[in-house]
Amino acid sequence: MSEMLEALHPPPAQVARPMPPALFLLGCGIVALSLVMMVVGPWIVPFDPGRPGPDIGMAPPSLGALPALAWAVLRGLPHAPVHWFGTDETGLDVFSRVVAASRTDVAIAVGANAVSLAFGSLLGLAAGTARPFLAGLLMRVSDLLQAFPVFITGMILVTMAGRSELTIVLALALLYTPIYIRLTRAEVLAQRHRGFVDAARALGRTELWIALRHILPNALTPALIQASVTIGLAILMTAGLSFVGAGVRPPTPEWGLMIADGSNLMVQGEWWPSLFPGVAISFTVFGYACFSNGLERYCAR
Amino acid sequence: MPAETPILRVRGLTVAFGGERAVAGFDLDIAPGEIVGLTGDSGAGKSTLGLALLGLVRPPGRILGGTVELEGIDVLALDEARRRRIRGAKIGLIVQNPRASLSPLHPVGQQIADAYRTHEGGTRAGAAARAVDMLRVLGLNDPERRVHAYPHEVSGGMAQRVLIAMALGCGPRLLVADEPTSGLDVTIQAQFLDDMWQSARRVGSAVLLMTQDLSIIANYCDRVVVMQDGRRVEDAPTPRFFAAPAAAYGRTLLSLRREAPPAGGDGPVLLSVRGLRKVFPLRRGRKVVHAVDGVSFDIHRGETLGLVGESGSGKTTVGRCLLRLVEPDGGEVTFDGIDVRRAAPAGLRRLRRQLQVVFQDPFDSLDPRWTVADIIAEAIEDRPDPDVLARLLRDVGLDREVARLPPRALGLGDQQRVNIARAIAVRPALIVLDEPTSALTPLARVGIIRLLRDLQVRLRVSYLFISHDLSTVAHLSHRVAVMYLGQIVELGTRAQIFDQPLHPYSKALLAAHLVADPSRRRVDQPQAEALAGESPSPIDLPPGCFLAGRCPQAEDSCRAARQEVAVLADGRALRCDRVAAALA
Amino acid sequence: MLFVARRLGFACLQLVGLALLVFFTIRAMPADPVARLVGMNASREAYLSSQHALGLDRPVWVQLVAWVSDVAHGDFGRSWVSGAPVMQEIGRTLPVTIELITISFVLAFLVSVPLGMLCALRPGGTADKATFVYSLFAGSQPEFWWGLLFIYIFFAVLGWAPAPLGRLDPMLRPPPVVTGFITVDTLLAGDWVAFRNGVHHLMLPVATKVFVLSGPIIKMVRQNMVRALGSDYVLYARASGLMPRQVAMVALKNALAPALTLLGALYGYVLGAAVLIETVFSLGGIGQYAVRSVLAFDYPAIEAVVLVIAAISLFVYLVLDLVHAWLDPRLSQ
Repeated sequence: MSEMLEALHPPPAQVARPMPPALFLLGCGIVALSLVMMVVGPWIVPFDPGRPGPDIGMAPPSLGALPALAWAVLRGLPHAPVHWFGTDETGLDVFSRVVAASRTDVAIAVGANAVSLAFGSLLGLAAGTARPFLAGLLMRVSDLLQAFPVFITGMILVTMAGRSELTIVLALALLYTPIYIRLTRAEVLAQRHRGFVDAARALGRTELWIALRHILPNALTPALIQASVTIGLAILMTAGLSFVGAGVRPPTPEWGLMIADGSNLMVQGEWWPSLFPGVAISFTVFGYACFSNGLERYCAR
Repeated sequence: MPAETPILRVRGLTVAFGGERAVAGFDLDIAPGEIVGLTGDSGAGKSTLGLALLGLVRPPGRILGGTVELEGIDVLALDEARRRRIRGAKIGLIVQNPRASLSPLHPVGQQIADAYRTHEGGTRAGAAARAVDMLRVLGLNDPERRVHAYPHEVSGGMAQRVLIAMALGCGPRLLVADEPTSGLDVTIQAQFLDDMWQSARRVGSAVLLMTQDLSIIANYCDRVVVMQDGRRVEDAPTPRFFAAPAAAYGRTLLSLRREAPPAGGDGPVLLSVRGLRKVFPLRRGRKVVHAVDGVSFDIHRGETLGLVGESGSGKTTVGRCLLRLVEPDGGEVTFDGIDVRRAAPAGLRRLRRQLQVVFQDPFDSLDPRWTVADIIAEAIEDRPDPDVLARLLRDVGLDREVARLPPRALGLGDQQRVNIARAIAVRPALIVLDEPTSALTPLARVGIIRLLRDLQVRLRVSYLFISHDLSTVAHLSHRVAVMYLGQIVELGTRAQIFDQPLHPYSKALLAAHLVADPSRRRVDQPQAEALAGESPSPIDLPPGCFLAGRCPQAEDSCRAARQEVAVLADGRALRCDRVAAALA
Repeated sequence: MLFVARRLGFACLQLVGLALLVFFTIRAMPADPVARLVGMNASREAYLSSQHALGLDRPVWVQLVAWVSDVAHGDFGRSWVSGAPVMQEIGRTLPVTIELITISFVLAFLVSVPLGMLCALRPGGTADKATFVYSLFAGSQPEFWWGLLFIYIFFAVLGWAPAPLGRLDPMLRPPPVVTGFITVDTLLAGDWVAFRNGVHHLMLPVATKVFVLSGPIIKMVRQNMVRALGSDYVLYARASGLMPRQVAMVALKNALAPALTLLGALYGYVLGAAVLIETVFSLGGIGQYAVRSVLAFDYPAIEAVVLVIAAISLFVYLVLDLVHAWLDPRLSQ
């Protein structure tokens, strides 16, 4: 949520933040972990995330049994495969599904941001350098898109374009593009009148050379910082959409979907099918938030 | 000076930020009614000292120790409630950036009145009336109306007067003024310092005036204290300081005085400008701003033409028109025989390498993501030899190691040297220098002035030196042009303009210009040539002479007819029909 | 005055643009509402007659004109799912959401502002660092999951909260609808029991929302306050000898004014995202209504919901922006 605020109104970099470097390292670690999981997750899990097993609704190992089990696994001793997070009521291993779902959520988030960053930056560059009339038009359209209620529009786009990972990526990309347009345009406008731009002109450089070598690299830095925030936002959105049934289709493992499936059980006391996917989301998005905060502080130096 | 109890007696004052001491065991005495100038390079700790005298410190700093005795009472030993009562009542403070020191959400009059009511009680209306009176005394026109303005709506000069009204209103025994005139135009600065000086004398306050500008100290202060790294390194009466400065800081700053001004500059004409015009339309309505209005001058090979004027004079726009960073609307510009205005893009690019530029803000002119090597290499087309780079850096007084650093690793003075290196890399014939030293500390300024002089001799390069700082212009220029509201009002040799200005505006400018020589103090001289009021708005210019509304010798003919440039017998150009006629 | 009129006019234009955009967007999507209603095995006649009944066989422009003229008369049509007038359904569900959001906002504000200010007084201290980590954490949480967690802990385990089955105990008789706000209506009806029950049911959803909202609000208040307290004008106010109370007022006004615009934006965002909490707690607000409508491809309901929510968001944003401009004279220049 805070990321959404910052997406709308980026704060000035000078304001002191008590950001311990430890937190930034934690953020880096989580981001790295999420990306690794995105790539290799489904291959390293102990159980097949799609194939139900015989144990239905089994709770995770008790805290007392954990040390012994962990020891056995680490030593490489032969052991029966452990359901670290228990199983849900169809017999699927929760741990494997949580890890496998990271591919879905993180890939969608990263993909959506990559698309909107690319489009948004180019359009922002155009809006910053084009004639006032065209630029104004572009900005009005961008403002219009931003006036839509985000979640509901996301629901509409995803549901009615067919619920697949691709449509989610495109829908989110559409929703986030105005953020990047606005950001890049503001940066480009600021950079155009910097002294080094005029100095380059005085040296005889062409406008195109200046735009590519001076303006764009400087304008991209805030956009990249923004991306690290918006990826976290996108994960929350994907999970939320799937939770209400307007996102990813089952049986694709996805954190929000898993929480939804386990929500009734939670009320009855079976907490593990919903808890762990939520922990995963909480952990991952927090990590991205720490990472982007640290990045912003580093760049403001 | 009779031995009275000092108004202020500071012993061993120490202020630290984390582990570093900004003020380290500072001692100071100020007698009643004395005006003491405190100077030192930036970072010496002057501002911190000023605040500490009030018992204040910017977070996260802490006052570690020492005594500050104001009329015998140690301010630092008091509890906060009593200290608060002293602030504004016994000690007044004015600071460097006046608009930033006023709350943006409250009208200025209200802020002054609140300060008065805190110390003197009374009704809101009474305090508001006092505020209006004080502003009138400080030289502000129409204070009843302007008191309702918000800080962002007022000029720098007015904002500074608001601070003085707050600081002097309750008759403090000591006024601490921290760089009170930085950012103000020369004429405003002179008016302001005069007003401050007179008010202080009238109220009987002592003044601690902190500034890096030695000419202010020479003109207004009885004593000079030099601060370095938080310590006092020199404390002398003003005449002795200027005759023989002891500390290195003073010696360096005053070193340029003894050097002869540049000679030469009489080569063939390199750049010829005739009737240059530039008009900027305003966003709303049909009004326009005549930024440059019929400007003509020549620059010879190897010569420096100084272009002086206050903010709004159009001097920066002239520079940008020459480089075609902004397209002129009229006039001719001929460079080395080539018509600059009609040059096609390819020809223009070739031409531009003969005409280089150095801007005011050193950091802004450097791409923060590049290294110094990249920045200079941008000027030289192909991959430059590291030795070529090293030689260029040496030419501007920098070590070859600097090449791999990013701009933010350098101080402002060194950043400006990099800008200069980039400009001379293409061996241009003319460099437009737009306020190149205004953003630098006086110490760095000395270095850059020396560098520019040196380069001019070695490379036979010409300069168009645009500045509002007359001292710097005097050190570098062969000829000087004075601009006012888009027009050149006078153009002559340096000696002609500085020693014998003819145009009323040039006279006023030079009268307001403070010289770092205590034997020629402004406060000791009759205030003959002061201009009244403020400049007209550049949007609504009068039909006749633009200065007519302010000139003490204005006649009806001045107000009616547009003034044209006349060339006088001694070779200078003058745009004042009245004076030209009188001399003919 | 001109400033207000200009902003108002622009907001109206935005709404018009939004209406057109949503109208065309849902019709441009590949989803087929007719097929959804009549099912996969319907005969061609059934399909066509259904299509006609829904008005979808007309050219798009005709549909647009019809819809625009209806809306101009305040008629949003009838829901394709329930057949009831959409206006009525929105009138029933909207207050639920507004009540939840507004109470949550007020409480979040009451909690976050003092906390943010306290942190700003000692920047870099332990309390500040801890609160910073908390606000970073809270702002990145999936609120629907936390809602579930709260239900598990406070209902299933501790039994402090009621079952998440709506706004009132199913045994109790709901009060006559005056405003649609359960708190207000029960008070108006003088029904203390129902009032307490309603508040009891709102406890967990509001707590969840306050938890998530407090993150960004604390961060924002702290940031603004640090900037104000460290500013030159506060330093100068102290140097002029102003009393601590006066200095604090100056700092506060300067710190909170810029927060207003951001709060307006936040309110709008949260209004649209209320879906999740409403679903978890079965509150029956407009968010849940939106979900039902979108999943069923109910065009009139979708169009109406988007417009209503956007209108309210724009309105709140505009009001707060205007108050901000009133407080800060630099904005209306």
